[in-house]
Amino acid sequence: MTKKKLFSGIFAVVLLLSVVLGGCSGSTDSKDKGSKGDVTIDVFQFKVEFKKQFEEVAKKYEKDNPGVKINITTVGGGEDYGAALRSKFASGKEPAIYNVGGPQDVKDWNKKLADLSDTKAADAAFEGTLDGVTKDGKVLGLPFNQEGYGLLFNKDIFKKAGINPEKITTLAALEEAVKTLDGKKKDLGLKAVFALPGKETWVTGLHLSNAFLAPEFDNNALNSFAAKKVEFKYGEGFKKVLDLQNKYSVQPTVSLDYAKQVEELFSLQKVAIIEQGNWTYGSIAGIDEEFANNGVGLLPIPVEGYKEDSIPVGIPMYWAVNSNKDDKTVEESKKFLDWLYTSDEGKRTVLEDFKFIPAYEGYDASKISDPISKEIYKYVENKKTIGWAFMGYPTGWGQEELGVQIQKYLSGDADWDQVVENTQKSWEKSRSK
Amino acid sequence: MLRTRDLSYWLFLAPVLIALSLVVVVPLGLGVYYSFTDWNGIEVGSFVGFENYINVFQDEEFMAALWFTVKFSIVSIILINFFGLSLALIVTSKIKSSKLLRTIFFMPNLIGGLILGFIWQFIFMKVFDGIGTHFGIENLQGWLSTTETGFWGLVILMSWQMAGYIMVIYIAYLESVPTELIEAAEIDGASPFQRLVYIIFPLVAPAFTVSMFLTLSNTFKLYDQNLSLTGGGPYKSTQMVSMEIFKTAFVESELSYAQAKAVIFFLIVAVISLTQVYINKKREVEM
Repeated sequence: MTKKKLFSGIFAVVLLLSVVLGGCSGSTDSKDKGSKGDVTIDVFQFKVEFKKQFEEVAKKYEKDNPGVKINITTVGGGEDYGAALRSKFASGKEPAIYNVGGPQDVKDWNKKLADLSDTKAADAAFEGTLDGVTKDGKVLGLPFNQEGYGLLFNKDIFKKAGINPEKITTLAALEEAVKTLDGKKKDLGLKAVFALPGKETWVTGLHLSNAFLAPEFDNNALNSFAAKKVEFKYGEGFKKVLDLQNKYSVQPTVSLDYAKQVEELFSLQKVAIIEQGNWTYGSIAGIDEEFANNGVGLLPIPVEGYKEDSIPVGIPMYWAVNSNKDDKTVEESKKFLDWLYTSDEGKRTVLEDFKFIPAYEGYDASKISDPISKEIYKYVENKKTIGWAFMGYPTGWGQEELGVQIQKYLSGDADWDQVVENTQKSWEKSRSK
Repeated sequence: MLRTRDLSYWLFLAPVLIALSLVVVVPLGLGVYYSFTDWNGIEVGSFVGFENYINVFQDEEFMAALWFTVKFSIVSIILINFFGLSLALIVTSKIKSSKLLRTIFFMPNLIGGLILGFIWQFIFMKVFDGIGTHFGIENLQGWLSTTETGFWGLVILMSWQMAGYIMVIYIAYLESVPTELIEAAEIDGASPFQRLVYIIFPLVAPAFTVSMFLTLSNTFKLYDQNLSLTGGGPYKSTQMVSMEIFKTAFVESELSYAQAKAVIFFLIVAVISLTQVYINKKREVEM
């Protein structure tokens, strides 16, 4: 009897130990690597599209700079990244380089952001691109790239309908063109003129709204971040462009999503115009490469009473360096970012492999690879741009409040005044917290 | 009954206890703690007392989501149980392919919720629309773009998925009904309907409780089907509680506030589950 008990006791201990030790086994082998003065830079980034190219560049950098090791972790887009980054920090494995979006992120992560003012990249960054991440004279982030959006149109269809896209630089001209297209819908093989994706609240609540709200914030995300109120100064124009898109769109717009808008309708040439940006190039090329390379043009979003010939261009995300890391790691991280954006090798990669629209000076713009990005860069060169003030909207306001209210408007369950009133209220409410 | 609680008893229990406390008890405690602070996911600023909880009850969006969830749960529970029982009656009757039918009816339950959501999204938005356009039936067009169609879309999806699972439970009880009782009733001249209502129903009554609470807790905590089918749209009108909490936390970055909502949600679900246990126990005693 006692023997049995003893045996079962031993068995239990073994079982317990195996569980406890099993949990430890993962971490024991990683300890010896940090010797010989090596520096490990952990990068935690969000851009899934260029993961592979980025990893290759990092490998190259490791080869050229012995003693530096770069670990890249990629967690995809938007809300998931924010949550993943938080848990990464909470787990104690803090990355050395990570991404921040705008003023709200800078405020949230304030204590973990290193000053990057002394980097070469910060000097080379285009004027205005650092506004959103500058605090008390310190530059806390370096821009990834520039991105822009407007009204993408099908060149072929415009030609067949006899419309000259270069003349569409006003709202009136756009309305005229849309009506012409609508009249010839059948001959052109179109389902409708537009595809308005009401389901994607980022398209309506962030991107479209930005064109009309940025002017009242002087095109600066810091101003919208500090603003206690939103006026909808160009709200009438906003309504007109939204109505125009909705009226001539494939219905029902409330449940229309990105895939349907870009892939099913625009890429297959069932609609003539969509409101999207350079990121759609990959999706369109995936379906019809010929069309993506030669058939897509870009029209401005007309903001009545302000600029009717400009497109919104901005910085989607910034690189940040974790100030909690030791000085050496911080230094090496800065060096890596500098190399990536200011060395010749780095520049080439950024343009040709990452296919970015550069946010820094000293790039050969003719090497920008896809036609939509090229068009956007033309607008940048001609200074026909509107800033991305939506990065300074109250957290979640653009998508969860404005975008949702617009859905309500599109369903006919609210009129425009209610949309404005409700979203103004929620803006003030989140700013008074 | 195990009465000797010596060392080996606790040692054997330890792995489970440790695992359970690490993944359930500790996070729960932390969560409750965070709900009383202004935690933003990165650091804890200060204690705010019951402020988060007070705000929850003035939060129209949360209340709307809760109300939608309740409505959805009630309708789904009725339909799932109705279909589940009907299917069970069909496959326990003397038809030939009953074994095969059981498998087929159970199958939807083996597919993950997210994928089911996307499959049904396709059916509602493309197939329904195609049929609707072809035959000129307007009711079949534009599904999921209004609150009503979103609601019924979710109900149909859940009924289709869970009816097979609930069917299995009913089958177990139906097969344990003694045949001599039914034969006796038959000899006494009871019609098939009378046999069903007076003999079979009372005997499978325990299955009702089990199934009801299973469906209740499943529909109440629904997230993935909701996410993939409607995404809460249009204008958040088909958003259920789990999704509302997730959005508060990770879209609006109000983590402590979302935590308070989650605690309240936990309490609601706990009350439901405890009621279930209580009623089940009571019934067992009566049997």
